[in-house]
Amino acid sequence: MTPRRPPRVALALLARCVADSEPLAGDLLEEFEHGRSRSWLWLQVLAAIVARPAPERGEIRPLRLVDLQPADAAERTRRFSVRFPAVEMTAVGGVGALGLAGFVALMTGVVPAAWWLLAAAALAGCALGVVLIVVRRRALG
Amino acid sequence: MPRDLLTDFELMILLAILRTGDDAYGVQIAREIEATGGRRVLLGAVYAALERLERNGLVTSAVGAPTGERGGRAKRFFRVTARGVRAARHTQQALVALWRGLPQLKERRS
Repeated sequence: MTPRRPPRVALALLARCVADSEPLAGDLLEEFEHGRSRSWLWLQVLAAIVARPAPERGEIRPLRLVDLQPADAAERTRRFSVRFPAVEMTAVGGVGALGLAGFVALMTGVVPAAWWLLAAAALAGCALGVVLIVVRRRALG
Repeated sequence: MPRDLLTDFELMILLAILRTGDDAYGVQIAREIEATGGRRVLLGAVYAALERLERNGLVTSAVGAPTGERGGRAKRFFRVTARGVRAARHTQQALVALWRGLPQLKERRS
């Protein structure tokens, strides 16, 4: 009987995406040796990547109620705005909508088929978002 | 009011480590939670929580020797610190205090 080989791509992905993943990889291999499937291992790897701790998110949330406190919410919003400052979306201040309308008219006139590409990309983005949310919820229990 | 109260998952992990003893590592902790706590867990989520607990000084870890079964990868053994035990106790007390006196949660004896 040929010994089963663990999915190397999954383990390489784990090593690439999760810091200090050696003990986790060892645990996954141990479980795989005890009969877990390749799809189980892939699921664990994807969940580990999604659930990996964000840097500087050190505090323990008391009974998960902290997020509901207005003071905490305000502090988190402030921290978020410092980390991700607002991006100016308009090429020239005050004419964003006009520029967008011009772009839409140009695209409709020159390459109307590109709308299908945009719609497909939007749908794919939504689907990916749903998958990530589901995987993250499962990973966080 | 102590700030070191734990989430339900963190509390389960601390209790699983305490139940497992000195040789608690990822797989064993997950198995203990599944067997005793009746909750299915992902190993990645267990390690993410363990890392958070270690950063907060509630557990410590030590790397063991690599084994062939694990593709030459070492185990990481976890142990609950005195602060971790205190945090578990504080959380238990907070939950019990919230629980107390609620008629909806009284056990029915039939």
